[in-house]
Amino acid sequence: MNASSGGEVRLTGISKTYGSFTAVHPLDLTVPQGSFFALLGASGCGKTTTLRMIAGLERPTSGTVLLGDKEVTGLPPYKRPVNTVFQNYALFPHLDIYENVAFGLRRRGVKSVKKQVDEMLELVQLGGFARRKPQQLSGGQQQRVAVARALINHPQVLLLDEPLGALDLKLRRQMQLELKRIQTEVGITFVHVTHDQEEAMTMADTVAVMNAGRVEQLGAPADLYENPASTFVANFLGQSNLIEAEITGKSGGDLLLKVGDGRLALPAERCSARSTEVGTRVLAGVRPEKITLAHADDTDAIDDGRNRMNGTIVDSSFIGVSTQYVVSTPACPELAVFEQNVERDHRLIPGAPVVLHWNPAHTFGLDAGQDIEAGTADLEADQ
Amino acid sequence: MPVVNWIRRHLVVIAGALALAYLILPNVVVMVFSFNNPTGRFNYEWQAFSTDAWTNPCGVADMCDSLSLSLQIAVYATVGATVLGAMIAFALARYRFRGKGATNMLIFLPMAMPEVVMAASLGTLFLNMRIPFGFWTILIAHIMFCLSFVVTAVKARVMSMDPRLEQAAQDLYATPAQTFFRVTLPLAAPGIASGALLAFALSFDDFIITNFNAGSTVTFPMFVWGSAQRGTPVQINVIGTAMFVVAVLCVLVGQVLGSKRKARA
Amino acid sequence: MTAVAQAPAPVKPADPERSPAARRRRRVPYLLLFPGLAWLLIFFVAPMIYQASTSVQTGSLEKGFKVTWHFATYTDALTEYYPHFLRSVLYAGSATALCLLIGYPLAYTIAFRAGRWRNVLLVLVIAPFFTSFLIRTLAWKTILSDGGPVVSGLDTLGLLDLTSSIGLTEGHRVLATPLAVVCGLTYNFLPFMILPLYTSLERIDPRLHEASGDLYAKPLTTFRKVTFPLSMPGVVAGTLLTFIPATGDYINAELLGTTNQKMVGNVIQSQFLRVLDYPTAAALSFILMAVILVMVTLYIRKAGTEELV
Repeated sequence: MNASSGGEVRLTGISKTYGSFTAVHPLDLTVPQGSFFALLGASGCGKTTTLRMIAGLERPTSGTVLLGDKEVTGLPPYKRPVNTVFQNYALFPHLDIYENVAFGLRRRGVKSVKKQVDEMLELVQLGGFARRKPQQLSGGQQQRVAVARALINHPQVLLLDEPLGALDLKLRRQMQLELKRIQTEVGITFVHVTHDQEEAMTMADTVAVMNAGRVEQLGAPADLYENPASTFVANFLGQSNLIEAEITGKSGGDLLLKVGDGRLALPAERCSARSTEVGTRVLAGVRPEKITLAHADDTDAIDDGRNRMNGTIVDSSFIGVSTQYVVSTPACPELAVFEQNVERDHRLIPGAPVVLHWNPAHTFGLDAGQDIEAGTADLEADQ
Repeated sequence: MPVVNWIRRHLVVIAGALALAYLILPNVVVMVFSFNNPTGRFNYEWQAFSTDAWTNPCGVADMCDSLSLSLQIAVYATVGATVLGAMIAFALARYRFRGKGATNMLIFLPMAMPEVVMAASLGTLFLNMRIPFGFWTILIAHIMFCLSFVVTAVKARVMSMDPRLEQAAQDLYATPAQTFFRVTLPLAAPGIASGALLAFALSFDDFIITNFNAGSTVTFPMFVWGSAQRGTPVQINVIGTAMFVVAVLCVLVGQVLGSKRKARA
Repeated sequence: MTAVAQAPAPVKPADPERSPAARRRRRVPYLLLFPGLAWLLIFFVAPMIYQASTSVQTGSLEKGFKVTWHFATYTDALTEYYPHFLRSVLYAGSATALCLLIGYPLAYTIAFRAGRWRNVLLVLVIAPFFTSFLIRTLAWKTILSDGGPVVSGLDTLGLLDLTSSIGLTEGHRVLATPLAVVCGLTYNFLPFMILPLYTSLERIDPRLHEASGDLYAKPLTTFRKVTFPLSMPGVVAGTLLTFIPATGDYINAELLGTTNQKMVGNVIQSQFLRVLDYPTAAALSFILMAVILVMVTLYIRKAGTEELV
């Protein structure tokens, strides 16, 4: 299918203000041709506004939108070679599935649409549903109609605005793979807006994390996850333990940190704090699943080179594949630890004294001058 | 006491049924008295059964002329009010512009004002402008007071439409004109239809405003009004009953068709 | 990884607010509004202003009218016709209260008790509209006729003695008494009460009733504390839709009453169409509007629903 040039989206200095409210601060962004690009953020972060400016449904207050080398900033939506899969799909209730899918072709004056529509309905596995009305289809089927209706036009870019938001969890996982398959098959640039970090990481090659009208960080999912550059990204993408620390010295490629009365090592290249001078306060971060939990009696068995902290288990919840512990340490009252349930140590119950230890290479450093709570669950929940 | 208990449990329904009877009773009386054979000029007391009025519905001088005039005015007023009203409704529901609050107020006022006040003031204007009362003054007045009701009905419908449907159409290469005719208008059709029906009913049945602005022109309600003074022919009841039966049949057929369509879905 | 663009060629800054397309788009709503609003301005607002000036004019049909700022027309009209105003407010108020009393059980039944009969009942509520309301109002002459089943029934029960003693009826008749006029008004405007009531009742989640019962409320308490407060928007809309037109009505008083039951509407009508005293008709119209405005404002304050306007 169509994968011609021009699928690159280039935003330069684009911004949107409504009265005194700035939805999107001036923003530069390039989405490479053929990529699956996700805009991730909580509701109200400006991700949908950004998408709508690409679609032409919103006029930017400043800046330009380029598709390939063509500037489209002033073009109305019906003159742009992009199509959108809308939130809640926006299928025309007065038209059947066939006419919904054929809508774009007909508007562009294509005479014989039957072959293309039939093919497209096959692609999304809805061959037998052509004459049904949208409201007679299930949520997952409607979602696929919305994708078919957009893709049939061979857009240079397909925009997806929370396309899976209305589906239940199981169906959502299934449709994520389905969309990924379709994208690989047609090779079109996909720009996907979502508030679900797992969805963004599963599907996209590149994720841009947005917060309060700005892109906080942009990169491959694994890269973002392992090397968050801000507390927002660290907390919003997965879960992080952030520990207040102070730089006390350097040793090889590592920064040495003082945490409460303990010490940690942090690879210097994984620290995004503005300064790495001795005496600087930083936030040392580590993902809960990187931490190993040992009972205090087994302290001697831990390798010397590992970061370690002493603490007491406050709470443990068994969730099948893993057990999640909350551990209280002198430096940090609530550290999260995820342990795979391979061999369970029955001494690890609330009240037990424990040692947390992890590979120093898994530690990341953040500037201490930001909100340590930014991007935690309560922000995520209001979608 | 099971009877007392039953009554207590169904007290609301019994009161509701009585209210319904109160609403329907006059229609029943109108229907029954369309078969009366009154002795005097007035058809208020039951005398004897007769189908004379039904076999000769236009047997009264001028009645059927007034009926056709009323239908004519109602059709024109409906078209006028629906076109003008739907345009206003679209502007109010889909655009932001200066003076929206004032516009909403202007639409609301005619509905919140006693008809007799509007009737007298419009009549005063026509009188002073020396515009002769008649067909055109009635039509102008009817479009004026039906307009607000159409706006309200259409606006409610358009507001409840997902704006993303129109955006989707634009996204799928429909120009603004195509978007309007292919998506907006078909989706708004039920609202426009109910607005038009309301306008038709209001115009056809209007008396007060017509009374002040008709001059010597006689619409059907004016004819009935006059006959209440001069003498009520049985044919009035025939027309009333026929309209009632036809309208109820239309509604019932619509309901059956609607439920069939739902069953097929 | 950063993905900041190097802009190709010179990209001129877009100024979307000033493009011709945007200007055209901004004009669209005004073009849509113009014909309809012009109609209302010419045939609704202008007549109101014209009538305001008429109300302070003096003169006669033969010699023509002139603006003389003759405010005495207002005081004269009030002193001469205050009983009619009083009657209008009284009759319309009673009819509105009766509509609420009669309409509520029916709206409630349709909303919660009708099951699959709901649509049929709704059709029955609207159906009377299909017969011209003048014809239906005349039917009340038959229903309330002297010695008819309704009147003799009421008489046998002794109810007519009761209503006579408070001046609602006279002797053994109902027709040509205040009761007949109120009865006609109630009948004519009942659907305007029932439909908004039904709309607001229908929106109430029936589970709220169950929740209330679950929390130890008796059915009557549930009604007082849950159902009725939630139906307030319908109550307010219904009473306004009933009271305003009922106050200005003159048809029921004319057809079912006598000169002793005439309301303001009757006076305006006869001043305008028979006496041809246009200044008095205009002044009466404005006083009527003012009376209604004051009462409606007071009522909305009291009912606490201002979202209607």
